[in-house]
Amino acid sequence: MGLIEHQFEENVLTTRVDWLLNWARLNSIWPMTFGLACCAIEMMAVGAAHHDIDRFGAGAFRASPRQADLMIVAGTVNFKMGERVKRLYDQMPSPKYVIAMGACATGGGPYFKFGYTVMKGVDRCVPVDVYIAGCPPRPEALLEGLMKLQEKIRRSSVVRRPARMA
Amino acid sequence: MNFDGIHDRLRVIQAPGLLGADLPRAAIPGAKHGESKDAGRGGDAFVLVDPQKIVPFLHVCRDEDRLRFDVLVDLSATDPKAEDPNLWININLLSVERRQRLAIKALLPKTDLKMPSSTAIYRAAQWHERECAEMFGITFVGHPDPRHVLLPDDWVGYPLRKDYVFPKEYHGISCE
Repeated sequence: MGLIEHQFEENVLTTRVDWLLNWARLNSIWPMTFGLACCAIEMMAVGAAHHDIDRFGAGAFRASPRQADLMIVAGTVNFKMGERVKRLYDQMPSPKYVIAMGACATGGGPYFKFGYTVMKGVDRCVPVDVYIAGCPPRPEALLEGLMKLQEKIRRSSVVRRPARMA
Repeated sequence: MNFDGIHDRLRVIQAPGLLGADLPRAAIPGAKHGESKDAGRGGDAFVLVDPQKIVPFLHVCRDEDRLRFDVLVDLSATDPKAEDPNLWININLLSVERRQRLAIKALLPKTDLKMPSSTAIYRAAQWHERECAEMFGITFVGHPDPRHVLLPDDWVGYPLRKDYVFPKEYHGISCE
């Protein structure tokens, strides 16, 4: 620390760029207002006072993909909807993240065998960061998924590609 | 409720296309019609109709004074079996004024899936017929807006048919 000691005035903090960017990003993950099926009810419960996703800075559900950082795919994705999901994903500004919430978005769920129009997992049209199991998942599970995503963001760097989750 | 009035009326006015009529099921299994205290739960009045004459038949059902079926509750189709030669067209009518219901069934041969559209009588039939058309491949002649209502426009096949073959991929995305 000797090199920059007493070089600046008071109230100046020094830190790493990575740490600062990640700190800002992971504490203000704004999700898109986006619900496709019954999982969206659980997502709304997470947004309400009892579970309160605002504790993680992710409570500002944006009505436009251009203001959102996170897409929580909460529900069944069929082929017709999948094209729209892809389009919404493309409209989001980087860095952007996707959570596949529940069995349907993860792998088709109960529609796996006979759902002729259901996409067998939203990862077939957009890249997914975190998968959450459950049908539908408990609100706590979505919060844990969000914390996993924060962990992932915390490990990322502006120069390296995001580290893979163990 | 006694449904004989509806059948009698349809016979008296010689409703076009009427092939047969049946009494509703008894409310309690084994009980004869009219014996149960809860007779109204036994089912709706039921008629079998020629699908090609469905439009004049529905016209009578809507405008005849004793019938007055002013609401089309449902219009759907059923594929009973892959080897069955017919599709079933099921139409449910409701008369708010007369407080009565009518279940209409028409057998449509799978070799010639064409029937006239009911939209001129009941505008509510538009979406129902569009759904039947995309799910079963029925052509409703005279429909004002014959687009798909649920499936993508370029979907191949009719999903609710018993002989439907599931697609392998759609727009490059695997279905398996």
